[in-house]
Amino acid sequence: MLEYWPWWLGAIGLAAISVLNFLLVGRLLGVSGSWAKVVGWKDDRARSAELKALTEDKGEMEDALLAETLAEFGEGSLEELDDIPEGEAQLQTSSSVEQYTPWTVHLVFLLSMFVGGLLAAMLTDSFTIEFTLSPVHSKIFGDDWEVWVALLFGGVMVGFGTQMAGGCTSGHGLSGCARMIPASLIATMTFMASAILLSFLMEATLV
Amino acid sequence: MKKTLLKQYLSYAFLGLTMGFVVARIGFADYDELHKMFIFADLRMLISFAAAVVLSMIILLPFSKKIPKQHKIFQPGTIPGSMLFGFGWAVSGACPSLVFVQLGSGKLAAILTLIGIYIGVLLHKKIHARYFRWDTGSCGV
Repeated sequence: MLEYWPWWLGAIGLAAISVLNFLLVGRLLGVSGSWAKVVGWKDDRARSAELKALTEDKGEMEDALLAETLAEFGEGSLEELDDIPEGEAQLQTSSSVEQYTPWTVHLVFLLSMFVGGLLAAMLTDSFTIEFTLSPVHSKIFGDDWEVWVALLFGGVMVGFGTQMAGGCTSGHGLSGCARMIPASLIATMTFMASAILLSFLMEATLV
Repeated sequence: MKKTLLKQYLSYAFLGLTMGFVVARIGFADYDELHKMFIFADLRMLISFAAAVVLSMIILLPFSKKIPKQHKIFQPGTIPGSMLFGFGWAVSGACPSLVFVQLGSGKLAAILTLIGIYIGVLLHKKIHARYFRWDTGSCGV
């Protein structure tokens, strides 16, 4: 029987990921967001091209704006512009430049989780290829094609539901709750309660 | 530009790897453990998760000003979406990250879950653009 980590070690591990995610990429963890990016890769490619065009056009645009300002208000207006404190101007530019993460990076993120799971199984000598999910799962759903149908429909619910709710266990549960965001607290309570309710119902059908 | 992109790849690869490993060692990829948690037969993983939330809340507190404001709003899809996700989680034992960890530990049946999630995300994308159109406040990435 495989020994899993005690609760405190798991808590430290999960919290470390949450904090590391912020320190390394500057935002909080959210896996369903990565899914949306990977599935919508065509939109992302279009946006990336747009962004590139925008930065290339920026120089041209600034020149045009300057010429327009001069024509409209005369030379005096430029001196007024210079009066704006340096810090304020800096702030404006840095906030308008959004850090862009291409969809391929998100795909690498998702696939790395597979590698992480594989590594964990290999290191604990618990890697076995199985065509069912687990003994209890087979007891509930049968041990043939029914399992696969259940998993397919379960997956569709997970995919659709997390996108509709705007987050999943990581985004709402770990990151959102840690920041005490009301929508995340509500979402987390709702999906936990739903999962608990259905699990009790499934358990009841076993007896 | 190239350098920051490489840094992004490496950072995300490292994060994914660590997360997959930790989540697998806690036992989240094991349907039996998960089911035991949902029927309150074994609270170890639930306590682990709750403690992780509290722990990261405390550690992130000093960074409050630096953390980008998360665009998580309460919208019409928050409750129905979460319910759907909860039911799907109970049935498949997978959330959007767990499915990869299940596959990593050799559970080939999770391929069906993977296909399902892909279809679900795609379906939502289409339906949302056509009918809902409200702001879902999804993890802004």
